[in-house]
Amino acid sequence: MAGIGFELRRLLRKDTLLGLIRAYAYAGVISSGPWVLSIIGILIIGIFSLGMVVPDASVTQFQITVTYLIAISLILTGIVQLAFTRFCADRSFENREDLILPNFGGVTVLVTVISGLLALPAAMFLFPGQSVLFRVLLIACFVVLSNIWIATVFLSGMKQYKAILLLYALGYTITVLGALMLRFLDLDGLLLGFLLGQVTLLAGMLVLIVRGYPAESIVSFDMFGKKYLYPSLMLVGFFYNAGVWADKAMFWFYDGTGSDVIGPLRASLIYDIPVFLSYLSLIPGMAVFLVRMETDFVEYYSNFYDAVREGGSLSYIEDMRNQMVFVIRQGIFQILKIQAISALVIMVAGAQIFNALGISELYLPLLKVQLIATALQVVFLAIINVFCYLDQRRMLVLLTGLFFVLNVIFTGISLYLGPQFFGFGFLLALAVCVLLGLWLVSRKMAELEYSTFMLN
Amino acid sequence: MSLPRADSADICLLLEGTFPYVSGGVSSWVNQIIRGFPEYTFACCFVGSRPEDYGEMKYELPDNVVHLEVHYLHNFQRGPQKRSLKGNRKAYADLRRFHEMVKEGVHSRERSELFSRIVTHLGEGEDYSEESFLHSRASWDYIAEAYREFSRDPSFVDYFWTVRIMHSPIWVLNDIANNLLPAKMYHTISTGYAGFLGAMLKRRTGKPLLLSEHGIYTKERKIDLFQSEWISDNRGLVEKNNAEMAYFREKWVNFFTELGRECYQASDRIVALYERNRERQMEDGAPPERTLNIPNGIDLPRMQKVRAARGESVPPVACLIGRVVPIKDVKTFLRAMRTLVNVLPEAEGWIAGPEDEDKEYARECHGLVASLGLEKNVKFLGFQKIDELLPKVGVIVLSSISEALPLVLLEGFAAGVPAVSTDVGSCRQLIEGLGEADRAYGKAGEVVGIADPEALGNAVASLLKDRDAWHQAQQAGIRRVENLYTQDMMFGAYRDLYQSLVRDTDAASPQESTDRYREGRH
Repeated sequence: MAGIGFELRRLLRKDTLLGLIRAYAYAGVISSGPWVLSIIGILIIGIFSLGMVVPDASVTQFQITVTYLIAISLILTGIVQLAFTRFCADRSFENREDLILPNFGGVTVLVTVISGLLALPAAMFLFPGQSVLFRVLLIACFVVLSNIWIATVFLSGMKQYKAILLLYALGYTITVLGALMLRFLDLDGLLLGFLLGQVTLLAGMLVLIVRGYPAESIVSFDMFGKKYLYPSLMLVGFFYNAGVWADKAMFWFYDGTGSDVIGPLRASLIYDIPVFLSYLSLIPGMAVFLVRMETDFVEYYSNFYDAVREGGSLSYIEDMRNQMVFVIRQGIFQILKIQAISALVIMVAGAQIFNALGISELYLPLLKVQLIATALQVVFLAIINVFCYLDQRRMLVLLTGLFFVLNVIFTGISLYLGPQFFGFGFLLALAVCVLLGLWLVSRKMAELEYSTFMLN
Repeated sequence: MSLPRADSADICLLLEGTFPYVSGGVSSWVNQIIRGFPEYTFACCFVGSRPEDYGEMKYELPDNVVHLEVHYLHNFQRGPQKRSLKGNRKAYADLRRFHEMVKEGVHSRERSELFSRIVTHLGEGEDYSEESFLHSRASWDYIAEAYREFSRDPSFVDYFWTVRIMHSPIWVLNDIANNLLPAKMYHTISTGYAGFLGAMLKRRTGKPLLLSEHGIYTKERKIDLFQSEWISDNRGLVEKNNAEMAYFREKWVNFFTELGRECYQASDRIVALYERNRERQMEDGAPPERTLNIPNGIDLPRMQKVRAARGESVPPVACLIGRVVPIKDVKTFLRAMRTLVNVLPEAEGWIAGPEDEDKEYARECHGLVASLGLEKNVKFLGFQKIDELLPKVGVIVLSSISEALPLVLLEGFAAGVPAVSTDVGSCRQLIEGLGEADRAYGKAGEVVGIADPEALGNAVASLLKDRDAWHQAQQAGIRRVENLYTQDMMFGAYRDLYQSLVRDTDAASPQESTDRYREGRH
């Protein structure tokens, strides 16, 4: 996410409280905007539809359907997201930006075909009780969402954060309005509204991309060639997304915690609401993370590699390394501090929120656990980001793979142990990965010059 | 094209950047030696820098070359991400101790023991494996520590790569030494990496090692290194001190000096072309009792035919035979022609040699001819057959700033052409003689200082004007060549060396020598 750093630094350099607040607010919105918007959008549709024309069950069905669509499309495209980001970064480092757009075309075609092929039989055979329109909408939404993730990655790589944010805001406004206006069609109407919004979002992104990056050919599959592809990054993208959703899926499909909602899709009321609420708490943490990474860390990082390439002295190189370590350490402490504060706020307000949403206060303990887990997830993300910068692909596979596996195992154990342990599976998996990750980061940083010179 | 392969050979030649892939004086000499000894079979081990630096073979391989293998020292390949490796700290402490002694110039038992421990543990999985040198933590720590302690140049990346590029050929050489075919003796034509390979082979197989040096490798490398711009100098303007060599150059020079020293120590006999080089070898660490001079020799009967083709008169032609490159200092020759033409208006200056090696310099030379107003007197002939050229030449001129033992002077003498040369390499020895008996043959021309066109021009003029002086110089040259510098004499001297060294091998119990050989391989 380079490039945003410039704007952030400009805001920070003003050295006023207002500048500081603006920088953090900006970073917060940029970093967590897209998916906070999607959570809020879905919630709003739900709240406004409750008690209106549509029967309550349809609202839940809609929310669950969209959740599944998002989760599965994220896991699917996760396989290419990181690898494609890396491809974009490498090519722009080589000043071969002309290769990027055709490959975006290639990835888009591939994602469209694969997501379509996956969605088609699922829609045909898994939802016998639903209308034909619903099934068609399901396929369309899945394909469009998958493409949106890829376009988001592409535009992030091109440093178009503001455009992404504006388009998401526009897309979800239309989603909400469309869904509300079409709600007389029940479930199908809500989903059609969602599709309308998403199509607008995708179309906006595509217009931006095609207008901004003319290229000679539209489709190319170069990035899947042996020369450019990092299979390890594909694994990392898959593991991370699968890991994030593993515990949720287990709660959905475990008999004691999940219930049927629509077709084969299940939901877990006790688990889902606390989880999604707690995700709202990570906005400040993401903001701190982005500011630290994009300003100080990137500065020392590029100083380090410039000195390595262009003949700096060893002591200067080491100095930059130490500065990087300092920034990482400071950043992680700051993330933990700010997450603690936001978690406390939500904990305090949790009872009221639950009352307002009509959820039993019995779920409050789970919310607390999830808030802590969310804080750790931000730290985990920061660690992954550091390893991405350092190009430690083996470490990345190890950490994300471990995260996935542990999340499955620990969540399974927590389900077996009973309600007072719910949520601890995810928390513990993250805790282990964060501790291991921190240890690995500090070990890697301690020998950064060695590995830069001797192991490349 | 497939290279000849054999299971064994009598003599294995170690050739760094020369025969058969590069043409030039040394390569021709190697060709001459191989063809001069049909009774021996030769194996050629060519060691080059990078594959792309060489083209096709420049020589047809003589029939008695039964084996040719080609290796490259700088053949970097990028592999996948490497795993980190600890490396043996104790081993690197020893390495550090060794380098300290090298820096201090200490020669002791401890040093040679350390050295032999190091070079016998270069193999895969051992303490000083290439893997360990390139990737281990211990190696890194030592490099970083040495940089902090010694580097006068701030750029770490340059220091790092200098160390790497300099040392990594050692493991290539180690591999070569492990797999080279058995031979009765090794003959290296330079010190440097090939010489170091010779030292390794000697250590492993116990077979005799003969070193013939034409130029002095370390000295030539010094010239190369000063000229090469890629060795960067990153000192700031204030830090720069012209009296002080750029640090990395100094490192290279020291490195090659040490490689040379190891080769001198390992060689059974050390041959120089002429006395001044032999003295330099001894300064650089060659044990005096193993050194000797064997000058180049020329094919006398062939040159006698050329001499017979001469007319009675002395053609007023001064000829520089050599490539048009800065080291030959062609510009001084051209300026000397101005002096000569002032005295002797009908005099001509010929330059016989290719101009394509340094086109920029050749262009400047043509420009200089015009600005000196010598268009009528100076001719650029390009490459010429020496047998046809020499009868038409009055004096051979050599204006070089560096030479070893220039064959053109000897060939000129044999063909009855006296010479005027700058005082470089063995030129004084060839023209004036070395020692009383040699001096008695007389002066075959004149020796002048380098870059002194007036003295050069005047010396040529006085020879061309004075028929008696010219004839005396001609006779002196003929006598000197016929008595001291014939091919037969050179072959004779090498025959003695080859025979005695190969006999040493044969005399050693055959069983023992194969055992030693095996030991070396494992």
